[in-house]
Amino acid sequence: MAAWHRVASQEELQPDTPRAVRIGEMQLAIIRLADGVFAVNDVCSHEYALLSEGFCEDGKLECPLHQACFDIRTGKALSAPATAAIATYPVKCENGDVFVMM
Amino acid sequence: MARRIIIIGAGQAGRRCAETLRELDSTAEIMIFGAEAHLPYDRPPLSKAVLLGKGPGTGLFVRSAEFYADQRITLHLSEAVTHIAPAEKQIETAQGRIFTYDALVLATGARARRLAIPGTDDPRVMLLRSLDEALALRARLLDKPRLAVIGGGLIGLEAAASARQLGCTVDVLEAGERLMARGLPTSISRRMAALHRQHGVILHLNARLDRIESTAQELNLHLAEECRAVDLVLVGIGASPETALAEAAGLAVAEGIITDRCGRTSHDGVYAAGEVARFPNPMNIDISTRQESWLVAQDQPIAVAHAIMGQHKPYDVIPWYWTDQYDCNLQVLGEPTDRLHQIERTEGERHTLLCCDSNGRIRGAVLINNGREATPCRRLIASGKPFDITEYADMARPLRSFL
Repeated sequence: MAAWHRVASQEELQPDTPRAVRIGEMQLAIIRLADGVFAVNDVCSHEYALLSEGFCEDGKLECPLHQACFDIRTGKALSAPATAAIATYPVKCENGDVFVMM
Repeated sequence: MARRIIIIGAGQAGRRCAETLRELDSTAEIMIFGAEAHLPYDRPPLSKAVLLGKGPGTGLFVRSAEFYADQRITLHLSEAVTHIAPAEKQIETAQGRIFTYDALVLATGARARRLAIPGTDDPRVMLLRSLDEALALRARLLDKPRLAVIGGGLIGLEAAASARQLGCTVDVLEAGERLMARGLPTSISRRMAALHRQHGVILHLNARLDRIESTAQELNLHLAEECRAVDLVLVGIGASPETALAEAAGLAVAEGIITDRCGRTSHDGVYAAGEVARFPNPMNIDISTRQESWLVAQDQPIAVAHAIMGQHKPYDVIPWYWTDQYDCNLQVLGEPTDRLHQIERTEGERHTLLCCDSNGRIRGAVLINNGREATPCRRLIASGKPFDITEYADMARPLRSFL
């Protein structure tokens, strides 16, 4: 059943610096942007790679292997070689902590 | 009447040209002719996911048959073009059909080079260029043969890594003194050699292969100083641009079809897209370059499509390619060479080699398991900004801070 999971404290998330977290089997990337904190599936939809190890800028996350780009807010694939979106998850911040719903 | 654009070559470059043309013009008639029976596919998975039998996901057939139908891109598969006549604006196919065009795109790619020594006509001496060749090679690798890879370049090494992962015994024979010498500095060649040795590949550098002797049981490789028995040989000694049609039609050709930055050839209304094209080098406009990479097949056809539609959008992208071997991801940007100053940035398994000119401008970079520095590297190369090169070695300073 979906539930809120604490994944980080707000202060340890630096802008444009994704943090890799695991909830059960799921690998997520948590990213702080100017307008909030976002959570996406950390695994590239093209080939296996952790997006949290890639370059992050302007609300976009770039795969470190083949440089496919994803919109952090929507999960949409913005450039080849990826064509499929990555999943996004609801995030809430409470009392300095960051929670992800999944 | 709608313009008809004919694209010869149903590979990645042909597909990209067609897609972009459709984005720019909803009415043009777009036809792609391909010799193979397959829908257009991208080649990077062939030496890795396809050989390993992993689902190549969306990386192989990027578009489905429905996509082409939906976009009104007509695919003439298994229909090789045998002749082009730019003066008449016509092409002829192997089936003897003649089509006229308003614009013609040659996206014919390259063909694998064959080894010019005795004994290579045995069916156990294979090439790896097409999907069918990759599938045939995989079928043989499943028997865990003793494999010899001729050529220590990118394709040969990727195939060697895949074969090791499938449990084959692998020898790599390289005629030169180091691996991937064409595009990499010596220090990186050494790292890749160490990686392959760690994984049990037997490397023969400076190898001189005189002939292959076939017996019913095995193939004997006659090297200058020894004879090595194997079950299977893969030849990976590079590719030559497929320029026969262009040459026969009198287009300017010099190890590739000569084009401008927008893919225009010497003949009006005829364009060249992808790795068959030789164009002004974005790193040095005064010399020409022909590049074999996913990137050039992906993005140079955008320039071609725009030129056909009368729009100026030259291809001026910094060269980039990657290779995945075992768990190692290697990316190469710009033109890293031994002639440049080399600065290393290493942090655990992550490694970046920056190659700078005497003014401290980055001209090339090699990244090992460090893809997050690719975009900053590309921008630094493109910017031509000079720096004190000692500052680059400071790992505490992320590369993006130099931008």
